[in-house]
Amino acid sequence: MKQLFKRIIELIIFLFFLSFVSFALMKLAPGDPTRYMLDVIDVQTTEEQIEELREELGFNDSIYVQYWNWLLRFVQLDLGESYMTKKPVFDELWSRFPSTLAITFASLVVMTLVAVPIGTISAIYKDRWIDHIGRVLSLIGAAVPSFWLGLLFIEFFSIKLDWLPSMGKGTFSHMMLPSITLGLAMSAVYIRLLRSSLLETLGQDFIRSARARGLSNSRIFIFHAFRYSLIPVITIFGVSLGSLLGGTVVIEVLFAYPGIGKFVVDAIGKRDYPIIQGYILFMGGFVIIINLLVDLSYRYLNPEIRLKEADRQ
Amino acid sequence: MAILTIDHLTINHEDTILVNQVNFSIAEGEWLALVGESGSGKSITASSIGGILPKELKIVSGRISFNGADLSNMTEKEYRRIRGKEISYVFQDYQGAFTPFIKLGNQIDELLKTHTTLSKKERKKAALSILKDVNLFDERIYNSYPFQLSGGQLQRAAIAMAVVLKPKLLIADEPTTALDSMSASRVLGLIAKLKQQMGCAVLFITHDLRHVKKYANQVAIMKQGKVVEQGSKESIFENPQHDYTKQLFAAIPPLRETPSRLFMISENPA
Amino acid sequence: MIVVRPNNVTKNIKRPQFKLFGMIVLLGLIIILTLVAPLIAPYDPTEVQLTERLKPMSSENLLGTDHMGRDILSRILVGAQTTVGTSILVIVLALSIGLPVGLISGYIGGALDRFFMRIVDALLAFPDFIIAIVLSGLLGPGMFNLVLALVVVKWVSYARLVRSTVISENQKEYIAVAKINGLSSIKILSKHMIPHVVGNLVVYASLDLGKVILVIASLSYIGLGAQPPTPEWGAMLNEGRNFFHNAPQLMYIPGIAIMLVVLILNLLGDLLRDRLDVKNK
Repeated sequence: MKQLFKRIIELIIFLFFLSFVSFALMKLAPGDPTRYMLDVIDVQTTEEQIEELREELGFNDSIYVQYWNWLLRFVQLDLGESYMTKKPVFDELWSRFPSTLAITFASLVVMTLVAVPIGTISAIYKDRWIDHIGRVLSLIGAAVPSFWLGLLFIEFFSIKLDWLPSMGKGTFSHMMLPSITLGLAMSAVYIRLLRSSLLETLGQDFIRSARARGLSNSRIFIFHAFRYSLIPVITIFGVSLGSLLGGTVVIEVLFAYPGIGKFVVDAIGKRDYPIIQGYILFMGGFVIIINLLVDLSYRYLNPEIRLKEADRQ
Repeated sequence: MAILTIDHLTINHEDTILVNQVNFSIAEGEWLALVGESGSGKSITASSIGGILPKELKIVSGRISFNGADLSNMTEKEYRRIRGKEISYVFQDYQGAFTPFIKLGNQIDELLKTHTTLSKKERKKAALSILKDVNLFDERIYNSYPFQLSGGQLQRAAIAMAVVLKPKLLIADEPTTALDSMSASRVLGLIAKLKQQMGCAVLFITHDLRHVKKYANQVAIMKQGKVVEQGSKESIFENPQHDYTKQLFAAIPPLRETPSRLFMISENPA
Repeated sequence: MIVVRPNNVTKNIKRPQFKLFGMIVLLGLIIILTLVAPLIAPYDPTEVQLTERLKPMSSENLLGTDHMGRDILSRILVGAQTTVGTSILVIVLALSIGLPVGLISGYIGGALDRFFMRIVDALLAFPDFIIAIVLSGLLGPGMFNLVLALVVVKWVSYARLVRSTVISENQKEYIAVAKINGLSSIKILSKHMIPHVVGNLVVYASLDLGKVILVIASLSYIGLGAQPPTPEWGAMLNEGRNFFHNAPQLMYIPGIAIMLVVLILNLLGDLLRDRLDVKNK
């Protein structure tokens, strides 16, 4: 628990650091946001209007005052208003969050369904033809850009065969192509990882001991080897969250899926800075949650860590 | 009557011969020491008895018969019923005796569940009683993970697990090499005691002739995949025939004098 | 343990070396093609010819033309400069920050090391891809800003890799001997540390280059990287998306280009890792 608590504190400090950086960058960013705001509304703009808006938004205060005010509002979850939609940033992001969460989760399910069986079969039938096929596929898979895979899927499954919708959200079938695309794109790495981890585990002495006890092969594999092999896989998953979260952004844009990622890319195009800032903080929260889950599963798989921490307290 | 007979056993890795026409047998309740330097093929021979050779190694000829049955003709399923129950192992690497993240008790329980029809309660009772026999009587040990125990404790727990089903043959593959000398002698004392209790035969693989002298009845000397000499302990120690055996004896420190000198030092703590 | 002596050792060593050689030749070929792309490109990659739109593959336009009548082969060739060239630039810049920081941090240690490692930990706490998206978003879409954003997130892992190598080497005896013999720090670093560091770096960089190419192409695809009309493989896929049905080459060719280059880099990285015996972290 202590360790977890420390981790959260670290991440909160980091979020503040990030908030400062993002605030500073926003101030340093080229272009006058007031102009973009007024451009968005699409009316003729005069210098007076711009000056008025600058005053209203507090852009004429000193930078420290601006940051302080921003921070005060931030701790109350008031992230300001979107320039594009004129609605509170928090509400805008929060309302899109479930969609992103759904697609992230669905992609993970697809990835697991692909990577675990293929990685396992490859390890069991090492150097047989099925292993060679698995290895070639995962090599190619690791080199294919996810958005291109998505484009191919759209071309084939939506346009040629007309089986699945290529854009939007709402029904289960809308989630199929995006999550299959991202899940497949990610699984290449994990197939390789699981295979090599399993092979290393199967060569361990404790596996030989389990065999010498007359346990069945399936029992040894499931209860003795597999769980042990998952530990490095989970570790890598924890440190490569970027490929998952970044992947959802690309996939959301590709499939015009109305989640947080698509929204922020639109916001970037429109220079909607409050949304971009809000996005950083939202993702910070998301990362904290996923890291907690990774930590928990790690502890479940590896009691050594759990017990060592208990000793220290 | 011989419990185990190995008859012209040859094991290859691709085209390299690792074990070459090996013959020996162990009678019921006998303690046979298989002696040789590392790489002489003694561990491979031991693995082949339980059918746990690494995939790359193949038995190319010969017979292994155990308790009257030909092991080389057994299906994997039949083999599994014998392995762990009638033939059990203690290995050199005590860290590798248990799966790291499963509690010791659960691993013993898994073994009992695989080979017996005992109830859950009876299994726990059997596990605790065998742990007591190896001087690990705490229920705490039963609920411990392997990494919470010391090397000596782990090796004793491994022995407990090896004998809990009263095997007919215990194969101890250098069980003391990785231990300090105190733990080592305790472990060997335990094996000797349990062998007495259960009446099992022991195939003891070692390169330490002092242990051989203390515990074994029969000795086989292996070199480069071949058994070069075998016989009763007395005949081999008193009248070694093969040059290699003589070299082995010459290479160890004098068996009588070393302990007595140590004894003298400890008697006069100055 | 069981000692296994395979008798086909020589056969096993020779094959990866042959493969490694092949991969290096392929990579060299890609780099040369990238460098001379403007010279060998048959047409101007940005020249719009609306009368020549969406032409299929032919002897005039080997890979056909896109929706604005631009020659796809020329765009792929010159686009390599954007995609592959920029990725190499990112790695080189990240290396030139990460290497000195890692060397100094690992060799000197103390407060300076702690300070650098704080920054490194802070940056590693957050997914790099997200930082890159946000940074290039805040700075404004464009190739220059994308490079900047990627260097900011990438130097960290190089600094950490170098630092850990330096620290583990520093504990070895030969460094102690060199110090006793009065070798200056600069000499120790350049003569003894760098050679050890380089092996790890080469393996890591070749695998990382593939990743950076994928990130640049992805970000360009969603409009945060190269801007039209600059030819870039990811951006080409974005621009041509509405015309895939009429001209499938618009979809296949840039994707295959990305895939092949990344595949070669990944294979090279794997082979180098086996060859230089670098531990996989």
